[in-house]
Amino acid sequence: MSETIKYTEAFEELQNIVLEIEQGEISVDVLSEKVKRAAALIKICKRKLTTTEEDVNQILKELDAPNEGS
Amino acid sequence: MSESKENIKIFTLLEVTKSIERTLANRYKSSYWIKAEMNKLNYYPHSGHCYPSLVEKRDGKVIAEIRGVLWKTDYLRINKRFQEILKEPLKDGIKILFLARISYNPTHGLSLIISDIDPSFTLGDLEKEKQETIKRLHKEGVFHKNQQLNFPLLPQRIAIISVETSKGYADFLKIIQNNSWNYKFFLHLFPALLQGDKAAERISHQLERIKKVKHHFDVVAIIRGGGGEVGLSCYNNYELATQIADFPIPVVTGIGHATNETVSEMVAFSNAITPSKLAQFLLQKFHDFSVPVQEAERKLKDKSQRILKDEKTRFHSEIKLFRSLTENVLNTNRSKIANTAASLVQQVRFRFKNEDGVLRDYVFNIGRNSNFSIDQSKLNIIQIKDKLFSKTENQLQQSELILDNIEKNIHNMDPKNVLKRGYSITRFNGKAIKEISEIKPGDLLQTIIFDGVVESTVTKTK
Repeated sequence: MSETIKYTEAFEELQNIVLEIEQGEISVDVLSEKVKRAAALIKICKRKLTTTEEDVNQILKELDAPNEGS
Repeated sequence: MSESKENIKIFTLLEVTKSIERTLANRYKSSYWIKAEMNKLNYYPHSGHCYPSLVEKRDGKVIAEIRGVLWKTDYLRINKRFQEILKEPLKDGIKILFLARISYNPTHGLSLIISDIDPSFTLGDLEKEKQETIKRLHKEGVFHKNQQLNFPLLPQRIAIISVETSKGYADFLKIIQNNSWNYKFFLHLFPALLQGDKAAERISHQLERIKKVKHHFDVVAIIRGGGGEVGLSCYNNYELATQIADFPIPVVTGIGHATNETVSEMVAFSNAITPSKLAQFLLQKFHDFSVPVQEAERKLKDKSQRILKDEKTRFHSEIKLFRSLTENVLNTNRSKIANTAASLVQQVRFRFKNEDGVLRDYVFNIGRNSNFSIDQSKLNIIQIKDKLFSKTENQLQQSELILDNIEKNIHNMDPKNVLKRGYSITRFNGKAIKEISEIKPGDLLQTIIFDGVVESTVTKTK
């Protein structure tokens, strides 16, 4: 799964799917597709909880930069 | 002691200073309550004495300044009371109401010897300052600015402003890093003093640095702890509070005290009070994210299983219904066919019977009618026979008559009878001569008469 989808979006989309399923708006025809999608979103969310990709060296480099980094 | 030179009186410095000393001592005999701003405390750790710089300002400008003296014993006593009442030590930049006597010393010059400082005055002033800071932040519209930011769903990357060796920071780390849910945080420490005169400035400086790399962080956590409840008035500092309120990412505080929330804590996105509670607050945010995800997983599993089960049940009942419906239709049609067959048989029988009757009638009628016809024909035949008989008889009689007449005529026409009446027939070579050209002289002719034949030779023709 690419990082193009952010975890906040993943979380929101997941909540929507759950809501849809809870309200019984999902037919059997799309169920498998939705569940597959939800599983991918859950994976993204769970991974976000237990990993981080920040790089201390990068931050230090930017802190030492003479001008405003951003 | 003074000496004269060309009518000019000259004093020594000591004479002058002693004179000043005397004059002042005579003029200012008692102690006075004075209010002023203690610009600098100027505490000398070695001697334990303080030489505060006392000023009065108007519109930000110093309009009066004098040196103060606070002896070690007085300082210790006053400082203790300050810490009890203000939760702050004596420090730079506070307004004080103090009891002092004016002193002049030839070498040290003019100073106010402070024997007492009223902590309640300073307390009131600090409180006033705090209220003014709050008012100003409200007026400038920044008071709730940090609180209006969107708190990240997962406050995972945390810029920490703290002291590496502080107990509060250790407490915080322990809870965050040893969390049993395996939540992963990215922590980066921006060290700063967290209490006392320099704190506001140091924290400010680190906030500026964090701002520079803010895209690497979700939140800023200001963590202090173990420092007791003194030295917190720096958090009421207008500049620091503004900077926190106006900070581009949420700032959360755990500076560890229970009474009188400081302005910095008020304007922060969230004030957890203690470092441990701040850690728990952050973990709770992770729970708030994690629990719905787990819930989602469970619900999805349950719901989709239920949907499938429901669908299966529905499918089965559809099949059942279909079966019973088709059976019904089959049964209905089967009985219809049976009925139709039965009625067909019946009708056929009936029809046969009917046709049989009709045929019988025909047979009867044919018999009767043919007998009648035969009788009729017989009669006709008899009549025809009778008619035939009578007709043929007539015909015969007539024919007999005609024959008789013909016989008479024939008799009359018989050549013998003609010959009798004198006619004869001459023949040559057996054939009757009808033209003179048929004979020539010398031919032998036969002439037949009634009772004989004359033979003659032609002599001449004419």
